[in-house]
Amino acid sequence: MSIEITGVNKSFGDFVALENINLSLPTGQLTALLGPSGGGKSTLLRIIAGLDHADSGSVEIEGTNATHLPPQKRNVGFVFQHYAVFKHMSVAKNVAFGLEIRKRPKAEVKQRVAELLELVHLSQFADRLPSQLSGGQRQRLALARALAVEPSVLLLDEPFGALDAKVRKELRDWLRRLHDEVHVTTVFVTHDQEEALEVADEIVVINQGRVEQVGTPDELYDAPASDFVMSFLGEATTLGGQLIRPHDIELTTSPTAVGAIEGVVSRVLRVGFEVRVTVLTDAGEEVVVTLTRTAARHLGVDTGRHVWLSAAAGAVTLPSAGLPVGTPLTVA
Amino acid sequence: MVKTPFILRWFLRLLVVAYLVLLVAWPVSLVVRNTFADGFDALAHTFSDPYVVHALKLTAIVAVVSVVINTVFGVTMSLLLVRNTFRGRRILSVLLDIPMSVSPVVVGLALVLVYSPTQGWFGPTLANWGLQVVFSTPGIVMATVFVALPLVIREVVPTLQEVGDEQEWAARSLGANSFQTFTRITLPSIRWAVIYGVVLSLARSLGEYGAVKVVSGNIVGKTQTATLIVEERYQNFDQPTAYATAFLLASAAVACLVVVALLRPKHTAS
Repeated sequence: MSIEITGVNKSFGDFVALENINLSLPTGQLTALLGPSGGGKSTLLRIIAGLDHADSGSVEIEGTNATHLPPQKRNVGFVFQHYAVFKHMSVAKNVAFGLEIRKRPKAEVKQRVAELLELVHLSQFADRLPSQLSGGQRQRLALARALAVEPSVLLLDEPFGALDAKVRKELRDWLRRLHDEVHVTTVFVTHDQEEALEVADEIVVINQGRVEQVGTPDELYDAPASDFVMSFLGEATTLGGQLIRPHDIELTTSPTAVGAIEGVVSRVLRVGFEVRVTVLTDAGEEVVVTLTRTAARHLGVDTGRHVWLSAAAGAVTLPSAGLPVGTPLTVA
Repeated sequence: MVKTPFILRWFLRLLVVAYLVLLVAWPVSLVVRNTFADGFDALAHTFSDPYVVHALKLTAIVAVVSVVINTVFGVTMSLLLVRNTFRGRRILSVLLDIPMSVSPVVVGLALVLVYSPTQGWFGPTLANWGLQVVFSTPGIVMATVFVALPLVIREVVPTLQEVGDEQEWAARSLGANSFQTFTRITLPSIRWAVIYGVVLSLARSLGEYGAVKVVSGNIVGKTQTATLIVEERYQNFDQPTAYATAFLLASAAVACLVVVALLRPKHTAS
């Protein structure tokens, strides 16, 4: 195990940021800490890096107890959401910083910087100042700088949070490929479930200072341990008191299946190829069903139409505890 | 942007220019004119007067020492105020502004009350150790440090806040210790604020009069600084020397500001 977190607690005044966190992150993997804003995931990352200290509990990195080590002795690379590049240094100087602190020979530093700039596609910008780079380029620079010191762990705090959607998507793919090349144990924090599902080998879902579930993207999506995980990863709606994915509901215009729930279509919203149908059941539940455009046209779904809903064969359902996230609320 | 009407625009410009001319440019230019009324005679005469030369030297020493103390203290204090939260931080911040709001004469009197060798609160003890503060150079330095105290801090604090601490944390995570982080990351990112604070402190230190007058005792040839000698010579009808010394003081301050304006790169935020 590369990172071993045992019994970590952290409070800011009355606010409990982390409560009894126990976590093992294996070597060489790309792990996502996923959860809503203010859930404690950034705090956990900062504690691993030594930028914050836990009130109790211990952190072990590569077999050494790092709980009381200052950040400069932990050999971790940290990438900040807002890049934190050194504004008064050129791109090459930024990357060289960690190596110069370690007093490596000049020739070695020069060669390593050239390699890293090649890796992050910034070779032609070596002599520029960070202010002359775009957001995505600055974030790649921050990554190269963190990788330069060959950290045993690379930590990224919402690395793509400040970038626009297109650049974010590109960098996400690029990070995945980079990780396949470099194989350094990487942990990144995100509140974007799509980002986590797409990039990570393993996802740790954190909510209100607690670990909700740990698993591969498939495990989390197919076998969510709680209604929170189910509604946070992907969409979820309630049907007959059960949480279910909106695309796992079969919608028919006549009562075919046994135990099908009857209702009236209250709203139809089309987004591209997808049609989101809101059905108000006789029991007073609001159910969201997603269909393809073709299926919706074939069925002739329209507002006011009587429909019957049932869970598709093999669908994942969970007993719903109260109102799940992601269910549209009726506004009176 | 709202466009100001043409006439109003010109009226406002004229008003500002007239205001500055009457208040600053005209009086200062009169000092210059009086200094050079007989060519360079007044300046030459001034530099041959040992008391004036002594006063100028004393002012230079006091100003340099005070600026060094205020810079070291100011940067440390700013880091403490911005990068740490502790009880009484706001009270400390208010305390640091006191030198700006209290009259320098009061500062001088307060220092005499504490450090006077005969009846001061702390002075006799120091005098026993052979250290005289009031009526000697240490007292003058203390008075000058006191009045120029907030200038570096007030320049550096907003810059430190704007720069934030992420770059410092990044440096730490890359292996830099706190000293390396300070010299390689913090100091370069606040350097213009520090330089500006130093220049303002230097200008203020050169020109301090009230506090120094009380503390120094104004002993001719010993504790008389340049500003004090200007006043003394002016009262004693040696106006050429007064004007010439005043001119030197003013040009030193202006030179500082010009140097910074030239050095400072355009379009830099920090």
